[in-house]
Amino acid sequence: MKKSIAIVEDEPALRENYAAALARHGYTIKTYANRKTAMQAFSAHLPDLAIIDISLEDEAEGGFDLCRDLRALSAELPIIFLTARDSELDAVSGLRLGADDFLTKDVSLPHLAARVAALFRRIDALRRPGNAAEVVRRGALSIDAERMQTTWNGTPVTLSLTEFWIVHALARNPGHVKNRQQLMDAANVVLDDNTITSHVKRMRRKFQQIDPAFDAIQTVYGMGYRWVE
Amino acid sequence: MSIRLQLLMVALTTLVLPWAGCQYARELETALRDSQEQSLLASAGTMANALSAQPQRVFRDPDDTAAFSAARGDLYVYPLHSQPLLDGYREDWGVAADPTPLPTTTGYAARVQAGADGRYLYLYIEVDDTHFDAEPGDVHPEHDRFDRIDLTMQRQDGTRGSYFFATGAQGPIAAQRIVHGGNDRDEATEEPRIQAYWLQTSAGYHVEARIPSSFVGSRLWIEAQDGRGNGKAGADSIDTPDGGRLFFTTEGLNGLLGTFIRGGTRATVIDTNALKLGVAGNVSADLPGDPDEKAESWYRYFMAVDTSSFPQQSSEPGRLAGNSVTAALAGQPHAEWVRGPGTQELLLTAAAPIMIDGRTRGAVFLEQAGDQLLVLRDRAVSRLFNFTLLATAASVIVMFGFATWISLRIGRLRDAAESAVSSDGKIRLDMPESAGTDEIGALSRGFERLLARLNEHTQYLRTLGGKLSHELRTPLTIVRSSLDNLESEGLRDDQRHYVTRARDGTQRLQSILSALGAAARVEESIKQAEVVNFDLRELLSSAIAAYRDGFPQAHIALETPPDPCFIRGAPDLLVQLLDKLIENAVDFCPAAGVITVRLERTMGNYALQVQNDGPPIPLALHGRLFESLFEQRQDRDDKPHFGLGLYIVRLVAEFHGGTAVADNRADGGGAIFTVTLPLI
Repeated sequence: MKKSIAIVEDEPALRENYAAALARHGYTIKTYANRKTAMQAFSAHLPDLAIIDISLEDEAEGGFDLCRDLRALSAELPIIFLTARDSELDAVSGLRLGADDFLTKDVSLPHLAARVAALFRRIDALRRPGNAAEVVRRGALSIDAERMQTTWNGTPVTLSLTEFWIVHALARNPGHVKNRQQLMDAANVVLDDNTITSHVKRMRRKFQQIDPAFDAIQTVYGMGYRWVE
Repeated sequence: MSIRLQLLMVALTTLVLPWAGCQYARELETALRDSQEQSLLASAGTMANALSAQPQRVFRDPDDTAAFSAARGDLYVYPLHSQPLLDGYREDWGVAADPTPLPTTTGYAARVQAGADGRYLYLYIEVDDTHFDAEPGDVHPEHDRFDRIDLTMQRQDGTRGSYFFATGAQGPIAAQRIVHGGNDRDEATEEPRIQAYWLQTSAGYHVEARIPSSFVGSRLWIEAQDGRGNGKAGADSIDTPDGGRLFFTTEGLNGLLGTFIRGGTRATVIDTNALKLGVAGNVSADLPGDPDEKAESWYRYFMAVDTSSFPQQSSEPGRLAGNSVTAALAGQPHAEWVRGPGTQELLLTAAAPIMIDGRTRGAVFLEQAGDQLLVLRDRAVSRLFNFTLLATAASVIVMFGFATWISLRIGRLRDAAESAVSSDGKIRLDMPESAGTDEIGALSRGFERLLARLNEHTQYLRTLGGKLSHELRTPLTIVRSSLDNLESEGLRDDQRHYVTRARDGTQRLQSILSALGAAARVEESIKQAEVVNFDLRELLSSAIAAYRDGFPQAHIALETPPDPCFIRGAPDLLVQLLDKLIENAVDFCPAAGVITVRLERTMGNYALQVQNDGPPIPLALHGRLFESLFEQRQDRDDKPHFGLGLYIVRLVAEFHGGTAVADNRADGGGAIFTVTLPLI
């Protein structure tokens, strides 16, 4: 059965471009221009994945409200924020509201499709029994690439898709410095340096909530980051 | 010229006040002078009227209107105030006038002067005769082989008496009276009532004679003869029947005049010949006033009425002259300002005719010192002067203070205007003096409005980059996603070129937008930056290693202290700062050049220096390099430059409590950018 994706975007040209690109990958696409029509449709029938713009027509933060409402309808529904805004604050707010990923509109369509595919893959993997071969273990860290799940000392760490891929890229080759470009490539995302930096900061904080002594992600100034065991 | 100086100059125009005061004083003096003239003229008129009512007290003989003729031998009899000593000298007479020459046809010179003290008539005769012919002793009027002076006097009753003076030697003598003898020969008898003194001198001889008044009428003949017949001077009663007339002053007139006059005035009565009949009073009265009045009168020099054109008063003692006298004797009262004889002293003279039976019989002549006026004027002027000078000084001081105040306010305003736009482009909106209700306050408020509008404009410009990058992002995304879709639809190879080119274009647009929004993003990340303690040396060594990879063509040297350098700050921001400095250095460094990054510990600071070989920074740019949106590059490369790089450097340095400075290397072969960061 085809996966259905809802795109909530007020810019018609962009909406249609996204819709066309994703349709080409075999998804069923529903597009909505504003929060009201989207919410009406969602109350009747939930899509398999929602891609939401933050500012919707006259509502500057309509996407956030929509995300909150959608999360109330379904706890598992994958949500991707796709926005022209690139401020740190927006990303944090969006992820805090339960979005699975936060992408700026700089992302290319193939990247977007890869993200979408990855999210679906994670959901599918979560529904299937585990495959130990896909699990990377580094000391206290264990990464299940199939399910896109991360645990530290057995405790799950809730990472966004971008964060997951960054951790995954770092932990696969411990001690190797990954520069920002490599991290972006791994995460299938185009971000500026500051955004990578803040992603890394956020990830550290999430690990530190579980283990205050966490110090595995090291900054190599001017170059990038590396995983140390 | 400063405002203070300008207003000071304006204040000096108050000096016109003393000048106006001088003009006023001059007018005042003229008016006073006029009124003094009028009053003196009135006094003269009154006196003349009073005197014309009692002619017998004014004139010896009211009916005598004979004219004075020196050629005929007329003599003015000077009033003598004391009885002179009979000694042949006239110095004790107290008469300033010189003796009158006797008429002569022979070149024999003799001079005569007459005086009277009420009881006697005094005659002084001076004869130039170097050879003394003594009288032999057998005095006889017919004999004339000796030097003699003949004197004939007509008495009041018309009878005449003839006398002569002669002597054998110098000394007191008596006159010889000539009487007709029986044999028609004249005899000489001594007249002891007429005393004289014969004085022999080197030039001739003097005879000073004293004649009782009763011998004297109104006419006399005087003749001086040489004993050897060399000549004679004067006239005798036989050859000239009308002898010289004697013009006496009027007895008692002085006292009469004294009753008319006040202090400081001299009254003189003259007859139609302008000869003085009586004088009373004194012009130099005691003037009221301070003794130091003179010292204050320096300003007379530039404000006094010019008196040099006033006529000089005649100095003849027995006789008056001048316009007033002439006019009065012609029947017209007249007043005139004159200068005293031989002095610059001002005198006011007024003359009025004494009319008897409709004819002018004489005149009253009054004189008053003009200095009184000067004293009055000086006193007024000196006060006026002091007041106006005080006022001028006060106004100059007030003006100066006011000007100082004004220029201080303007200075404050100017300073504020100059520093209103700070080097980081921030605009201070409040101006000093804006509460003022005057033009300066208005100017200040005008500045405030101007700055407010400038600020709006600057804010707009400041956010323009961010806004542009934000607003352009959506259309750019549309273009790019459309290109993505186009590629996915399957393209022919020849079409694919265009898509690739379009994609390159969007890529460049993307980097431009990113650069445009960079400063705003840095400002935002500064707001959210977390501050930690870290080793700057370690950060530098790892970052420089990365730059060596990133810019393989550049030679980057690193010099750090041997021990760790801990500072408190945001390492990410510092890396961005370093990024910008290195990018800048790489841009300006020639191919073989060296970039040196040096960390030094100085007084209380770390100094982080990035030096590069290359062209020096133009002097004019030193202060401005770190300003937002300042960009001055000669060569344009592919990368967009919005003049934000060094601005970001400064933002980060200031966030850490440090500074950023640009300078040239001492050898001029490169630039040095120094960032100071405080020690922990």
